[in-house]
Amino acid sequence: MNTLIGKGEKRIDAYDKVTGKGMFASDFFSRAAKMPQMRLLTSPHAHAKILRLDVSRAENMPGVIKIITSKEPGVDWDQFPKPAYLAQDRVIWAGQVIALVLAETREIAEEAIGAIEIEYEVYPHVLNYDEAMEPNPKAVVDPEYETRAAGFSDRPGDRASDRKSPNVVGAFKLNTGDVDRALKESDIVIEHNYFTGKKTANPLETATAVCEYSPDGTLTMTSNGAGVHGVIKQTLCRVLGLKQSKLRCIQPYQGGSFGSRLNPFIEVLTALMASRAKCGVACSYTRKESFTTGPSNWPCYTTVKLGAKKDGTIIANDFTLGEEIGACINNSFFSGRLSSSGVAPCYRFPNTRMDTFAVATNTVPAAEYRGLGCPETEFGIECVINELADGLGISPVEIRLKNILDPGDLNIYGEPIRSTGLKKCLQSVADAIGVDEKPVQDMGVWKKGRGCAVGGKQNTPLGRAEAKVWFNCDGTIELFTSVDEMGMGATTTMAQICANEMGVRMEDVKLTNSDTAITPYDNYSASSRATYTAGNAVIIACDDLKRKLKEEVAREFGMHPSKVEIQGTTAILKGAALESVSIPSLFKGWTPFSQNNWGLKIGSPVEGVGIFCPAPVQMWDKDGRSPRIWNWFQYSAAAIEVAVNEETGQVQVLRVASSSDTGNPINPDIIRGQTIGGVHMAIGFALNEEHLYDENGMISNANLSDYRLPTILDMPLKENVHDFINPDSLPDGPYGAKGMAESVTVPVAPAIQEAIYQAVGVRINGYPMTAERVLAAIKEKKQKEAAR
Amino acid sequence: MRFEKYFVPETRQECFALLEQYGDKAKVLAGGTDVIQLLKSGALKPEAVIDIRKVEGISETKITDQGLALGAMVRLRELSLNEALATDYPVIMEAAGHVSSMQIRSMATIGGNVCNASPSADAVQGLILMNATAVIESAGGNREIPIAQFFTGPGKTVLKKGELLVGFTIPKPSARTGAFYEKFSIRGDTDITIVGAGASVTLAEDGTVSGAVVSLASVAPTPLRMDAVEKMLVGKKLTPELIDQAAQAASKSVAPITDQRASAGYRVEMVYVWTKSALTKALERAIA
Repeated sequence: MNTLIGKGEKRIDAYDKVTGKGMFASDFFSRAAKMPQMRLLTSPHAHAKILRLDVSRAENMPGVIKIITSKEPGVDWDQFPKPAYLAQDRVIWAGQVIALVLAETREIAEEAIGAIEIEYEVYPHVLNYDEAMEPNPKAVVDPEYETRAAGFSDRPGDRASDRKSPNVVGAFKLNTGDVDRALKESDIVIEHNYFTGKKTANPLETATAVCEYSPDGTLTMTSNGAGVHGVIKQTLCRVLGLKQSKLRCIQPYQGGSFGSRLNPFIEVLTALMASRAKCGVACSYTRKESFTTGPSNWPCYTTVKLGAKKDGTIIANDFTLGEEIGACINNSFFSGRLSSSGVAPCYRFPNTRMDTFAVATNTVPAAEYRGLGCPETEFGIECVINELADGLGISPVEIRLKNILDPGDLNIYGEPIRSTGLKKCLQSVADAIGVDEKPVQDMGVWKKGRGCAVGGKQNTPLGRAEAKVWFNCDGTIELFTSVDEMGMGATTTMAQICANEMGVRMEDVKLTNSDTAITPYDNYSASSRATYTAGNAVIIACDDLKRKLKEEVAREFGMHPSKVEIQGTTAILKGAALESVSIPSLFKGWTPFSQNNWGLKIGSPVEGVGIFCPAPVQMWDKDGRSPRIWNWFQYSAAAIEVAVNEETGQVQVLRVASSSDTGNPINPDIIRGQTIGGVHMAIGFALNEEHLYDENGMISNANLSDYRLPTILDMPLKENVHDFINPDSLPDGPYGAKGMAESVTVPVAPAIQEAIYQAVGVRINGYPMTAERVLAAIKEKKQKEAAR
Repeated sequence: MRFEKYFVPETRQECFALLEQYGDKAKVLAGGTDVIQLLKSGALKPEAVIDIRKVEGISETKITDQGLALGAMVRLRELSLNEALATDYPVIMEAAGHVSSMQIRSMATIGGNVCNASPSADAVQGLILMNATAVIESAGGNREIPIAQFFTGPGKTVLKKGELLVGFTIPKPSARTGAFYEKFSIRGDTDITIVGAGASVTLAEDGTVSGAVVSLASVAPTPLRMDAVEKMLVGKKLTPELIDQAAQAASKSVAPITDQRASAGYRVEMVYVWTKSALTKALERAIA
C-alpha cells in the first residue's frame, strides 16, 4: 500500500524551523558562550616558510588556557596530511591554520592570537590552473612532493612520469571507440576551452563545533558536520586515537552544507583541543574563515572537442579536464576523477577520449560541493552542443533528443543506464519557455534571448546506511536514522517512507536522528544518496519490524506468523476465531508475582533493524572502462530567458523552467523546494560567484558583500518560474525513487550562456559570466564587426 | 572590540570637551554601521568612543524659504522617506535611499556617511549635487566648507582635533533645476557602488544651462566633482550630443582603481554610461 508516497506531506521539521525553536549547531554555540572559546591563527600568505613561531607570550596572557601548534604529539595525520591540517614548517595557502588558541573568552583568544610571534619567509605562489600547470611552476604546492608514498592513488592511467607538472596530483584516462577516425568522419567539429570560477558554498551557518569533555576522557561533539558516524566519529577516532566508546557525535539541525561540511576539519581541531586542554571547547568559523580556511568547490578547466554528423548525431568527444583542487595534497582515490564523471550521464558519445587530472594550487583546498564538479564539467559540453546545433541549423532541443541516452543504452564507461527521464525533462522546459521561438525585443538596451541545456550527475555507491524502527506499546512508531538534515528534507522523507511501510499516519512516526550513541550507522548523506540508501534501509527495518510483530502476535494466538498480517496498529489474523486484534492491546503490564515477563511488555518496544549497502563498483580496465563505476544517474533540464544590458553587460534572468528526473518522487513538495533552490544557487554560479585574490594570494572578496551570492531579487518573479518532475522509476530505489538535488544545478549556467548568445551574439566560454566579461565580449564583437 | 571609555554626551559643549581631551584617541559613534565594523575587526582601536546620539540639536531636518538644514544625526531611512523634501530636494532623498539595505539605513546617519569618507558613499552624492555646506563646530568656534571639499582621502576628512560635524545647510535650488543620481552596482542597493554618477542642471529661461554639477562616486580616493565637465555644459543647450560629449569627457578624465568589485577599465566605461544617463534624467527634471 502506497498511501503516502508521492504526496506533499508537511515537513516534520516545519514547526521547529518556522517558529525558531529548532536547535541548530549555532544555537548550541550561543549556549556555550561561557565555555572556553577557540580561535585560529591563520596564514596571511599563500605560500611561505615559517621561520619562527613563538607562542610563549600569548600563552602567558591571563585567561589563555592552551595553545596548540603542529608540534602537538600523539596525532595520526595519515588520512589528512598534517601540512594541510595544521601548517608545519610551511604554509601552503592564505587562510591555512597555524595555531589553535583556547581562552576563557573569544576576545582574550583573539588578543592572544595577536600576541603570537611569527616570522615568515614568503615564497612564490601559484593561484590558478595555468600557473600551477607550468612544467617548472613558480611553486610546488605539496611540501612532501616526491617524498610522500604514492600508494592509494597509484592506479591505471595515473603514472607520475606522465604528469604534466609537479602540481598534478591525480589522473584518469578513458578511451572508447576511435576518436581520431570519428573526428575525421564528422561533418562539423567544434572545440573550445572553458573555465569555471572557484566558489564557496556559504551555508547560512558557518562551520561550528561544541565539544564537551568528561573527566574519564569521553568527548561529546555537537557540530553541524555531515556524517556523525561515517565521517566525524571515524575520522576523530582515527586521527586522535580515541576509543570508539569515548566519543559521541551529535548533529542538531545543520544550517546548510551543500557538501562543504563533509570535511570534519573544525571537528578534528576542536576535539584535539578539548582532549589536550581537558575541558569543553567551542569554535565557530567567521564568515571570512569559511571562505579562506575552507573548503571551496573544485573549479574545472576543460577543453571540449565534439564532432557531429549533418543530422546532429554526435560521434566524437575528445575531452580534457583539469580539476583545480587548491592545497589538497592528499592524493586520494578520487583526485582527478570525480568531475570527469560529468561526461557520462547524458549522451551516447560512441567515441570518447578523456584525459583528466587534478591540479594543486596555493589556494583554499577544494572539496565536495553540490554536483561534485559536474556543473563545471558539463558546462563546456552543453555549450559546444548548443554551438553544434547553431552550426547545423537544427534546434538545441532536437540535437539533444538525438543523442541523449535511453534506458538500457551503455554510457562511455560501458555502464547500462537503468533510469532516465531526461528527454521528457528537456521537452517540458523547452515548451514552457518557448526555446525555439524568438522573444519580442521590447526592453531598450536590455536584449532578450532564450537557451536550454541538460545535465546529469552520478551517484557514488559508497558505504552503507542503517535504520532502526520501534513499535511502541501505544502503537506509535519511532524511527532512528543518521541521515544529515542539512535542510533538504531527508528526515521527512525517511519518516514518510516509514509511515507508509508501517501503515500509520505521518504524525504517528517520531524520528530521532544523528546521535552516535542512539542512532544507527550511516556513512553520510552525500551524492544525493539519502533517499536511496537510507530510504532502502528504512524499508528493510520496517520489514524486519513487521516480521517480528507477526511472530509476537502469532505466539499470542498460537498461530503461524505467516497467517498474521500487520496493518498499521492492527493485526489481521487469518483462520483464527478472532479476525483482527489491536496490537497495543497485546502489550501487558509488568507484575512482580509472575515469572512470565516474556512477550510484549508495556514500555518495551519491538525493534526492527535494516541495513542497506549499494553493490560495489568494479575496477576499470586499461581503457578506463567498467560495467559499474557509478550507481545510478539523476537528471535535469533547464530552459531560461535572460535580458542582457548591451551597455553594462549585466544579465537578468527573466524566466526559468527546470525539470528533474527524480525517479518516482517520495515527496514532490520537497523536490519543488530543491528544484527552485537549486536553480537560484546555480544562477549565482553562472553570473557572479568566484574567488578573487590580492597580491598575497588572500581571497579579497571573502565576505558576503563582495562575494556576490544571488539574492531573492536575482530570481525571476514566481509566475515566471516553472518546475516539473519527469520521473523514470529506478528499479532498486525505494518505491523507484532516486536522489535529485545536485543535477538541478548543472544545466542552468549553459542555458544562460546560450540565452546570452541569442540575446547579444556573444558566447562567454566560462563562468561566472559577470557583467564585465559579457561587456568585454560585446565590445570585442563590435570591434570585429567595425574592422570588417 | 575593546575600548576603555564610552561617553554619551548630551550637549555640544560636553562633546567638544571630550573631543578636545581625547583627540585622536577618540572615535565618534553616530549610527554605528561603519564604526562598529571597524571596532570589531580591530582596524580601529580608540581609547574612547563618543556616542553622539543624544547630543541636542543635531537630529533635525528643517526646511525654510532659504533652504534645508540637516542635522548630522538624521537617519538615512528617515531622510529617504521624508516627503517634505520631494519637491525641492528629491535627489537628497534618493541618494540616501540607495545606501545599502533598509536595516542599515534605519541606523546609519547622513553625518556618519559623510565622516566615514568612503568614495562610494551614495548619500554624500545627494549633498554634492545640491551644493551642500558642511557645518563644523568646536569649542573654539564654527566653520563651514563646501561638501565637495570635505574629503581628503579614503576615510579621511578635513575635521581637526576637537571638531564635530554637526550638520549641513543646503540652499534652495533655483527654478528650472533638476538633479539625478545613478547608483550602479550588480545586486542593487545592498551592493556597494561600482560607479555612482550624479548630475544637477539649472536652466536659464532660454533653455541653456546656467549652472551644472557633475559628480562621481567610487572612481577616485574621494567623491569627485567634475569641474571641467561642468564648464563644458554652462551656457550651452543640453543636447543629446553635448550629453554624450560630457559623458565621454568624464569617462576620459577618471583614473579609478581595480578592486574586488570591478576593474579600473570597467569603471571607466561605466562612468560614460551612467554620467550620460544622469545628465539625461537631470535635464528631464529641470524641464518638468
